[in-house]
Amino acid sequence: MTWSRNATYCTESPPMLKQTLLAAALAVTAAMPAFALAQTAAPAGDAAAGGKKNQMCTGCHGIVGWRTAYPEVYKVPKIGGQHAAYIVKALQEYKSGERSHPSMRAIATSLSEQDMADLAAYYSAGAAMTASK
Amino acid sequence: MTTSMKTFACALLTMFAATAALAADVPAGAAKAKEVCQACHGLYGNSPTPDYPKIGGQYPDYLAKALRDYKSGARKNAIMAGFAGTLSKQDIENLAAYYSSQPPVVATKH
Repeated sequence: MTWSRNATYCTESPPMLKQTLLAAALAVTAAMPAFALAQTAAPAGDAAAGGKKNQMCTGCHGIVGWRTAYPEVYKVPKIGGQHAAYIVKALQEYKSGERSHPSMRAIATSLSEQDMADLAAYYSAGAAMTASK
Repeated sequence: MTTSMKTFACALLTMFAATAALAADVPAGAAKAKEVCQACHGLYGNSPTPDYPKIGGQYPDYLAKALRDYKSGARKNAIMAGFAGTLSKQDIENLAAYYSSQPPVVATKH
């Protein structure tokens, strides 16, 4: 085990311990970006699960021609058939506050990374194009 | 025609001209799309790249709002800020009208 080897160094000489600690600290620092990346990588989405989590979405995105009234009036985007990666990114940006819309911020804040992936899988799977008018 | 009638007609024409300035020109939007948007979003808005949204058949007012927000910086994206920054208000209306009139690749889903 690494720890027992370090322990051996420890009994040998203090300078060696310092070097070992420094090396360990450097290794941890170097590994951090990779770790951070692994954490932000989106989990795999489950479309069926997403279909059961979308009660908060349907009130606006499920209604043809629905308009958001605050802070500006425009039709809420159609999201059926949209790329899953883009949907996840949009939700993450609303959650972080990078993209601002009061309702979307509130909703996205309540979502986990898994919820986002599941919703993205559900919506990206498309919709009957007859409902697009 | 009396002078007052002429003045009135003139005022009406000016009003129409002012509103017409922001009426969307779809062919002009198509030309701009070919120049600026096509490489990422596709000429018909069916973006082949997962990171870039599909915009064909999207609502025109949503598309215009997105472009205005990218241009103003209200919505932050390094790539879109560069492109939207070059667009005039008229370009934005034209592009929104052009992409929204393409065969829908996004739809309302319940």
